[in-house]
Amino acid sequence: MGGACSRKRDQVDNEDGLHGGVCGRYQKSCSSKWLMTSFSRPPLDIQRGEGKCPSLMELCAYKICEDIDRYSTFSMLPRDISQQIFNELVYSRYLTEVSLEAFRDCALQDLCLGQYPGVNDKWMDVIASQGSSLLSVDLSGSDVTDSGLIHLKDCSNLQSLDFNFCIQISDGGLEHLRGLSNLTSLSFRRNNAITAQGMKAFAGLINLVKLDLERCTRIHGGLVNLKGLMKLESLNIKWCNCITDSDMKPLSGLTNLKSLQISCSKVTDSGIAYLKGLQKLTLLNLEGCPVTAACLDSLSALGSLFYLNLNRCQLSDDGCEKFSKIGSLKVLNLGFNEITDECLVHLKGLTNLESLNLDSCGIGDEGLVNLTGLCNLKCLELSDTQVGSSGLRHLSGLTNLESINLSFTGISDGSLRKLAGLSSLKSLNLDARQITDTGLAALTSLTGLTHLDLFGARITDSGAAYLRNFKNLRSLEICGGGLTDAGVKHIKDLSSLKLLNLSQNCNLTDKTLELISGLTGLVSLNVSNSRITSAGLRHLKPLKNLRSLTLESCKVTANDIKRLQSRDLPNLVSFRPE
Amino acid sequence: MKKEDTVKLISAEGFEFVISKEAAMVSQTIRNMLTSPGGFAETEHGEVTFPEISTTILEKICQYFYWSLQYSRGKETDFHIEPELTLELMMAANYLHT
Repeated sequence: MGGACSRKRDQVDNEDGLHGGVCGRYQKSCSSKWLMTSFSRPPLDIQRGEGKCPSLMELCAYKICEDIDRYSTFSMLPRDISQQIFNELVYSRYLTEVSLEAFRDCALQDLCLGQYPGVNDKWMDVIASQGSSLLSVDLSGSDVTDSGLIHLKDCSNLQSLDFNFCIQISDGGLEHLRGLSNLTSLSFRRNNAITAQGMKAFAGLINLVKLDLERCTRIHGGLVNLKGLMKLESLNIKWCNCITDSDMKPLSGLTNLKSLQISCSKVTDSGIAYLKGLQKLTLLNLEGCPVTAACLDSLSALGSLFYLNLNRCQLSDDGCEKFSKIGSLKVLNLGFNEITDECLVHLKGLTNLESLNLDSCGIGDEGLVNLTGLCNLKCLELSDTQVGSSGLRHLSGLTNLESINLSFTGISDGSLRKLAGLSSLKSLNLDARQITDTGLAALTSLTGLTHLDLFGARITDSGAAYLRNFKNLRSLEICGGGLTDAGVKHIKDLSSLKLLNLSQNCNLTDKTLELISGLTGLVSLNVSNSRITSAGLRHLKPLKNLRSLTLESCKVTANDIKRLQSRDLPNLVSFRPE
Repeated sequence: MKKEDTVKLISAEGFEFVISKEAAMVSQTIRNMLTSPGGFAETEHGEVTFPEISTTILEKICQYFYWSLQYSRGKETDFHIEPELTLELMMAANYLHT
């Protein structure tokens, strides 16, 4: 977090879990997204839920894990009990190749060993001993090789297999999966060895519903083997830059496809034409593909489409009138295209839209008038556009808006009062240098805000006083240089804060750390480029939830922080200087 | 404590543990027996027999019930489990849904 300059978070497409809710995943300003994704494993005490009484089952499972060496086999236990013990061992990281042996022939159903350290072919024998009971196995990130997969042949009821990042698996390994016709979900992300040859084995997986080959760079020509998989609903071939138009042809008959992700491939408008018949398609991700607005001809035939990602494509205003025909759309990403206000005219009728991304497009104030009727809009991304002072009035009526990103735009203090009535707003990004205390003063009615990004805005101590109105803030960034300890006094009572970035305010001293020592919910703190010294670190002791601490260019050394970490901040996993 | 506020749990060997209903109902299984209308004889007599649960285990379970009540009232102490009991205790806990 926090370099010396104002920055934009790289917007990666993030379709996974889309159906959990449209808004929230599509907003750059949502800093807490980072909190959830940066650490794959939550610390134990947080996960366990403080205050909730552990069940006797759980207590027994914990106890068994502690003394796991006492047990040679669990095969006499009912399956649900041995499964719970297994899960607890994985969770607590007590499972080893040796202790795994106790689970031989336990008829376990689910072995979630994704990212588990040390998993290799030697584990496969016990894994396969679960036999026909075994339903799902996740070995992502393991050292399992082609020969390890032989063992799975007899686990004929397997429904779900995950081998993401298993770089030692190649075509030869896929051959062993050929007979697993009960598989509904299969995942081989980031594999550079799988080719069309190995994918012949997929042809027999007639029950497959979900196939994930993200970042498999050599699968060109292989999708022809999916032709008969009529139950396939979800196909992810993002970042497979070998995929071309001809690879789309075999997909044309997969009429049950609901989700198709081909971002960052070589597919062009003519490849998209093969998708016309996919009437059930609801999600299509074409981010970074060399497609133009001409592909809308084909897409307008898709009556169920509700999510369309065209970020970083080659769209211009030409042909954009066909957007008006895709009225089912709820999420539309058009960021980083050469489109202007002219294109926005054709979005007028898309009244189902809930999320619209126009990041870095050539749009301005005039164009926003076309959004006035999109009253279902919850999420609007206008970062790095020519939107300025006179455009915001067109947003005043969009009362369902929950998130707006206006970073790097031309908005002025005076125009911000147009946003004051948007009472549903939760996330607001005003990372723009010309915004000052005056602008913030106009927004005090937005008491529902949980995320406020004022990274580059010139907020001073007197402006900070307005922050008191935002009691629900979970993340706050003020890095414009104008804040001193006196301003931090207005932040110290924002007790919901989890992320606080006050870097680049070079006048902040140890007093700041003292002031915020009561913000015990903080998970991430950045006060880089300030006058903080190692003497001030003691004030951070109460921040037991802190997982990330950044104090670059301060009078603090890595050893100072390490000492604090070992004595007082057990959850701290990331810190700078390091 | 009034008799109607207690419940008698009987082990495989016939040992009887009289505990408060509130404690016993930490177990979802016992709660269902005691509260489901009309169904179980247990509801009327306030007695539940566990032919599959030994005395040692049932005693430990009763201790857990009371520990759990205290825990939920904010007294967060550790609950000690003897290593030699864990497997049998876990099976009983599974049955009792606790």
